[in-house]
Amino acid sequence: MTYILTVNGTDYPVDADVTRNLLSVIREVVGLTGTKEGCDDCECGACMVLLDGRPVNSCSYLAVQAQGCAITTIEGLQSDGDLHPLQRHMLESGAVQCGFCTPGMIVSARALLDANPDPDDEDIRIGLSGNLCRCTGYARIIEAVRKTAAGDSG
Amino acid sequence: MVISESRPFLRADGPDKVTGSGRYVADISLTGMAAAKFKYAGMAHGRITKLDLEAARSIPGVYAVLTHKDVPDVRFGAIPDRKLFASDVVRFEGEVVAAVAAIDAATAARAVEAIVVEYEPLPIVDDLEAALDENSPLVHESWADYDADHVVRDRNVASFSSIERGDVEAGMAEADLVVTSRFEADASHAVPIEPRGILAQWEGDRVTIWSSTQVPFQARAGVCETLGLATNKVRIIVPHLGGGFGGKCGFHFEAHVAALARAVRRPVKLVFTREEEFVAPDRRREGMTIDVTSGIRRDGTLVARRGRMLLDNGAYTADADFFPQLAAMHLAGPYKIPNVLIESSLVYTNRQPSGSVRAPTAPQACWALEAHTDELADAVGMDPVAFRRLNAIDSGSVGVVGQTYGEIGLQQCINAAVEEIEYGSDLPPDEAVGVAIGWWPSFPGPSGVYIKIDDDGAGQIITGAQECGTGAVMTIPHIVADELGMQPGDFELIYQDTGAAPYDVGATGSQTLLNNGRAALAGARELARQLKELAAEHLEASTEDIVLQSGEASVVGSPASSVSIVELAAIAADNNLLLAHGSSEVIETPPLVGSTCVGDQGVAAWSAPQFSCHAVRVRLDRDTGVVRVLEVSTAHDSGTIINPLGATGQVEGGVLMGIGQALTEGTRYDEDGRQLNAGLLEYKLQTIADAPTIATRFIEIDTPDAGPHGAKGLAEAPNVATAGAIANAIAKLVGHPIRRLPMTAERVWETL
Repeated sequence: MTYILTVNGTDYPVDADVTRNLLSVIREVVGLTGTKEGCDDCECGACMVLLDGRPVNSCSYLAVQAQGCAITTIEGLQSDGDLHPLQRHMLESGAVQCGFCTPGMIVSARALLDANPDPDDEDIRIGLSGNLCRCTGYARIIEAVRKTAAGDSG
Repeated sequence: MVISESRPFLRADGPDKVTGSGRYVADISLTGMAAAKFKYAGMAHGRITKLDLEAARSIPGVYAVLTHKDVPDVRFGAIPDRKLFASDVVRFEGEVVAAVAAIDAATAARAVEAIVVEYEPLPIVDDLEAALDENSPLVHESWADYDADHVVRDRNVASFSSIERGDVEAGMAEADLVVTSRFEADASHAVPIEPRGILAQWEGDRVTIWSSTQVPFQARAGVCETLGLATNKVRIIVPHLGGGFGGKCGFHFEAHVAALARAVRRPVKLVFTREEEFVAPDRRREGMTIDVTSGIRRDGTLVARRGRMLLDNGAYTADADFFPQLAAMHLAGPYKIPNVLIESSLVYTNRQPSGSVRAPTAPQACWALEAHTDELADAVGMDPVAFRRLNAIDSGSVGVVGQTYGEIGLQQCINAAVEEIEYGSDLPPDEAVGVAIGWWPSFPGPSGVYIKIDDDGAGQIITGAQECGTGAVMTIPHIVADELGMQPGDFELIYQDTGAAPYDVGATGSQTLLNNGRAALAGARELARQLKELAAEHLEASTEDIVLQSGEASVVGSPASSVSIVELAAIAADNNLLLAHGSSEVIETPPLVGSTCVGDQGVAAWSAPQFSCHAVRVRLDRDTGVVRVLEVSTAHDSGTIINPLGATGQVEGGVLMGIGQALTEGTRYDEDGRQLNAGLLEYKLQTIADAPTIATRFIEIDTPDAGPHGAKGLAEAPNVATAGAIANAIAKLVGHPIRRLPMTAERVWETL
């Protein structure tokens, strides 16, 4: 089946079986590998993307269903080559270790901040509870989101 | 200290990781690449009576189906008890029987389904006690034929070690009180978020393998051993690695994929599913049964300890041959005990092999010991912290194997951790604080770096060290730059490539900073010498008078007389190149003094031991048995802390993993020896919603015979004491220890 997917503002013609999930089409057809597969079971959140601003586990979403949606992946967060404040704060706060959960975590945090620009720690915990990180104790991730919300430039 | 708040730590691999541009193995594709899938045994113990590959081979798009007949007949492992493919008997459910390469993953999966294997079921060995019975079925009928003289073994016991000092019978007789405890720990898993991937490509007689391994040089050795290749024909490259926690230590499936790629004359890629990541690798955290008896005087002084430990090796010995002795050291603990006898056995079962998962043997053994220690304190009516202060070792103390410790910070760790959590203050009725102490060895070993500065002044550090997320390798440019008066950003890292870099043991044993850090320091000092000689010639000064700082080489006392390192680099580019290497020097392991260790594996006396104390505050829901960890206070002696942000990250991550092991992470098996919860829905990791407040203090002691600037390792130490501290908090609330790990809500509730 041939259709169009709009990823990070660019239209990509896709020729893929209707049964393929959005994650595999983004990675293998569109060719953006920043979105990761950790479990193929909606449990880890490494494959998180935004569909019209809403966070979705792309491993468990059919690609064809994303037609007509604005799909945002981790590659879509930078503007003019500058890191998104979330990316910068994740890095500076020590929220990044192995980095495999990081793209999904940042995408979820972006959705959280878009919906709630001033979250408290409990809001952050709820908003990111679908993203597993095995390296950190999560505190640095919370700190990075908090600093981004505060517009902290430091 | 090298990295301070004024010079913050921004990890060099960070931008790749936050933008998604960083490549992990699964992200790499090569032209003509085929997909690999394995046919697993799917049963715990059986003899293969039929293996029919014809249907699988006839599927269009299937390029090759390999079995044991297609690779050299080589046994490998710490005890050479396994082969790449099962040939006759399968001994655990995840054993590889055949490997398929096909045009895509779906076709490979169909081919795996089409492989016909029939088995004659054999009796399953899955009970550690029963496995010791002389009438027990054997996991390895031909165990005696394996070449493993370095271990003491017999039948289903793959490796036996003891720690013996003094006279334990006399010690028990001398004691006023004797307390006996029994504990049982379930197996658990490393669970890196990245499932492993391997991609192999041959060119002529050379193979390049991209692998998500923590130990590229060990992986190379495994490929060479099992496929009969010379070291320089195999190149292992690790792109970014998505976590390991020990689960990606050792040699796993690189040879299978290389053999497939050679057979089909094209690149072949294997990417594991989450279920495979649970079931197939030989790196499960071992289950354990622990019996411990201690004799104490009325004043609380420890006089004797007897212990018996059984460790579940699983079906094959990946690297667990030294685990019994390490486990015994953790049951002895960092205490002063004159009379000790601990006997520890690694027992074959028909389960997934065990291996080095973050601080192997320590979280379980420390959990049992520290729960037992609170029972001892209770028996003499002492406060558990006071009991530890009395009996724990301090600088100058003699430990359980007769090692005299130099300047160590264990007592300071206890003080710091209990102070931070305000130990002894009033708490609500369903809250309690538990405290545990732990220790962990440093593992000195060989490691090397090359350092060069090219004609434009840009530097490269080419290191064999492996970054698995901890930031240890990311710290290396800071150490080098500090010696050369340059900036970390002046150096690009070339790493995780056995074809380019000198040897390193890998991201295992918390050894990266300890060993590669020393190599980097040595290399940087050699390069500094080269720069100073060149500057001295240029400035017509003496080499001894040249200092390197702020990117300049200048003459002491004459700052105007200087030349930039960029300028020196341009001069050197036409003459003797700025090119140095460094290697970690040997650190001798301390001797055993006045102790006897049968089956000694060299892990009873420790170089530069690391110490910790964790205190946790928990809340218990008595209706459900659910325990919530609210607050954790940690203090660590890991020597000098070079990278505070990275070090704190290791402690916090280790604590969270420890909470998981304490409360939710345990593998369950069905009666046929198969894992029941090989998925993230059923095997629960801690989420951000579960994460407590974690306070971390470092007791910094510039430790001799340690790493650069007196640093010890740190990645495993924070994973030692958390579960024990949680156990002691729960015991205060329910009145007795929970004797099985993990201490799930169900297990807690059952005791209420």
